[in-house]
Amino acid sequence: MQMFGSGLIKGLAITWKELFTKKVTVQYPDEIYPLPDRFHGKFKLNKDACISCGMCVRACPNKVITMETETVARKKRLLKYTMDIKYCLFCGLCVEACPKNALGYVKDFELAQYKRDKLTVVLAAEEPLPREEKERLEAEAAQRAAAAKKAAGARGGSAFGNKAEGGE
Amino acid sequence: MLRTEEFTLNMGPQHPATHGVFRLILHLDGETIVKAEPVLGYLHRGIEKLAESRTYTQVIPYTDRLDYLAAMLNNLGYVQAVEKMIGVEVPERAEYIRVIVSEMSRIASHCIATGAYALDLGGFTGFMYPFREREKLMDMFEMICGSRMTFSYIRVGGVAADLPEEFYPAIKKFLQEFPSCVDEYDGLITGNEIFQARTKGIGILPAEKAVKYSLSGPVLRGSGVKYDLRKARPYGIYDRFDFEVPVGKNGDCFDRYYCRILEMRQSHRIIKQALEQLQELPEGPVMAKVPKVLKPPKGDVYHEIEGAKGILGYYVVSDGTVNPYRVHVRRPSFINLDLIDEMCRGWKIADVVAILGSIDIVLGEVDC
Amino acid sequence: MENLFVNTAGSIRNIMENSGLSPLLSDAVLVMFKLLAILVFVLINALWLVYMERKIAGYIQCRYGPNRVGPKGLLQTTADIGKLISKEIIIPRGADKILFLLSPALIFAPPLMVFMVVPFGENMAAVELNIGVFYFLAVASLSTVIFWMAGWASNNKYSLLGGMRVVAQMISYELPMVLAILGVVMITGTLNMSEIIRAQENTWFIFTQPVAFLIYFIAGVAECNRAPFDLAEGESEIVAGPFTEYSGMGFAMFFLAEYANMVLVSFMAATLFLGGWLAPFGLTFIPGWIWMLLKVYVLIFLFMWLRWTYPRIRVDQLMGFGWKVLVPLSLANIFVTGVAIKVLDMIGW
Repeated sequence: MQMFGSGLIKGLAITWKELFTKKVTVQYPDEIYPLPDRFHGKFKLNKDACISCGMCVRACPNKVITMETETVARKKRLLKYTMDIKYCLFCGLCVEACPKNALGYVKDFELAQYKRDKLTVVLAAEEPLPREEKERLEAEAAQRAAAAKKAAGARGGSAFGNKAEGGE
Repeated sequence: MLRTEEFTLNMGPQHPATHGVFRLILHLDGETIVKAEPVLGYLHRGIEKLAESRTYTQVIPYTDRLDYLAAMLNNLGYVQAVEKMIGVEVPERAEYIRVIVSEMSRIASHCIATGAYALDLGGFTGFMYPFREREKLMDMFEMICGSRMTFSYIRVGGVAADLPEEFYPAIKKFLQEFPSCVDEYDGLITGNEIFQARTKGIGILPAEKAVKYSLSGPVLRGSGVKYDLRKARPYGIYDRFDFEVPVGKNGDCFDRYYCRILEMRQSHRIIKQALEQLQELPEGPVMAKVPKVLKPPKGDVYHEIEGAKGILGYYVVSDGTVNPYRVHVRRPSFINLDLIDEMCRGWKIADVVAILGSIDIVLGEVDC
Repeated sequence: MENLFVNTAGSIRNIMENSGLSPLLSDAVLVMFKLLAILVFVLINALWLVYMERKIAGYIQCRYGPNRVGPKGLLQTTADIGKLISKEIIIPRGADKILFLLSPALIFAPPLMVFMVVPFGENMAAVELNIGVFYFLAVASLSTVIFWMAGWASNNKYSLLGGMRVVAQMISYELPMVLAILGVVMITGTLNMSEIIRAQENTWFIFTQPVAFLIYFIAGVAECNRAPFDLAEGESEIVAGPFTEYSGMGFAMFFLAEYANMVLVSFMAATLFLGGWLAPFGLTFIPGWIWMLLKVYVLIFLFMWLRWTYPRIRVDQLMGFGWKVLVPLSLANIFVTGVAIKVLDMIGW
């Protein structure tokens, strides 16, 4: 049986000891805690790597991501990529879904905004190509395709054709 | 003859000691409770309904938001339910990682329970020390999965990523320090005579009643019922670890509180063992081969695990499409609240706070 | 140094008399000066103690406490008070307006009144009252009424419960406090505080009356409504007790009054048990009033240390402890003291 009051004294001893231990506070604006590599913070998009496949859009549980694309010469081109951060859960499913690792995080957690509409983050905003440019590209692509076909024909059939030949 | 009258006191939804937006209508005779009516639903977000319009993977981030203090365990329960449905074999390495992170989550949750309990009883310093340790755990979670509270780390078929290199020294340091930290809580909170006077013999919950009302977790074990799903019906690889299930004796607030302290020590043991065994494992995948789009066969499955607050069960119904037809969660905090009225009757207002704190509810889970 | 304040008072008086004021008038003006000095002293102390409390709490809890406003955060309380002054004073619809506004205005009166008789150093009591201890007990318990006023006037259930608790607690702790002090008074045979201090020339009463000191200290903590006896405020149970409905400066007044009360109780403890301005170990080169302050601050630190270590006791346990432990103990202390005095008298010690 312990003497009554020993627990009280022990408590005082513990708080006395803690009075002199090192403090754990991180003095936030002056000192920023080192963030780990996997930190889920602000998003970044590598526009060149993005193939506009829309996997991230489908992976998102909250329909945060909207994507606008245009198809030029059978190739999808990213026009606008917006994230409605106010609905974001930061679960990371979109980043994981990206097949080209185009979507990623920045080590920045200061996402607060003064205005509600500023919460929508635009990660990519490209003008749609002008009509002439589009036509030019399409024509070029068609030309290239035709040239490729021709070249393949000159070599004696396509790869598929070769295979078929080998089968005989 | 003087006539006395009962008066009603509305405790919550905004009250410092109701752990969120819980409301309790107290009928008082002076300071003595005549009746306590819990009013729930202030944090209802309809997660079960939301799950019906999400794919199986997309539900995981929502389970984080049930018991946000032990999100890993919520992830685990749901994911294991889905895995049961599609019948997938989880890689060994992932299983170990799951055990480590879920026990870490359990410690984090119990740290809050302990600290908040000290705060409820007026000892503010007792609140800060467990939080300090919890903060270390959160830092480690951040290393593992990039988030501090809502992890979405455990995935159907494994875990999102392997443990990073920087995690190992951090957890080793933590494991080394943690027992002395628990000793500190014991010295500051458990051993304090005022604390004992406030908790011993208060809000007694008899074992039969606790079983009858299907209470679970430390609340049940505090009443002396040795029932822990990790032992009773081991899921995952829990049968490989050596640990004990601490039980209380009297079923009072102190026993419920002390069970959590002891459980933290046991979780510490489990993590230690799991870490040793994990490091012996060869490098390997942490994710089984599962299709990108999950389409479980028609049918339903119920799976339960030992959450931080009690038995956490997931009932998932599939109609063969990409979205679950129905997800229902057996939320331990909600069920543990059943007896609040009976437990509070006859005690003082200060005891209501003590009883509520000893049940350790999380409103995200109660209201779902 | 020793007589810094006494000399200052003397010279002020001289100046006034030289300029042709009648002695009576200059005496009256001097008392006003003294009161003003006490007011400033108490307020500055309250401001400083809020800071000190937060700093100690921080350090005990592994954090730094306030450290942003001013050097080392020293201006934090000032900034807080500035903020609170600029806030709206909200009067609840059902409140008793007059009482509601009166209580924060009056809350500082009892501690200030008691400070009049506190000897800050040798010959440094504003008023030498030969029933000083009695006056302290009588006036200090007046704050109960003010707390109750606040609790009642707010017309809030939490406030009402808090007000009830204050009354119950203060009344039941007043008794052991009085009885504990009685032990000291029995030895000295005087109620004058300066004389009580002079009677401790050889031994402080903490050594001859350790039980009385302990009882006084516990009752003092309860009188100040501080943890572990902060039931009146009890923020996790009844939100903020009598202060629940107060906002802005009204709240700040209660907040600061708590510290003023704490200073007062510590001053009394130092006077009655720790030898007041008397220097221990013959360290007389340090002026008496500094010794007094030092002792007071040691006690205040003890108050804060207790607060940041212990949880809160329950209301019925508090009453039980007061009536079943402290009152009998203090009665026993009186009995033992009385017997000892008689026996020592008989053997002619």
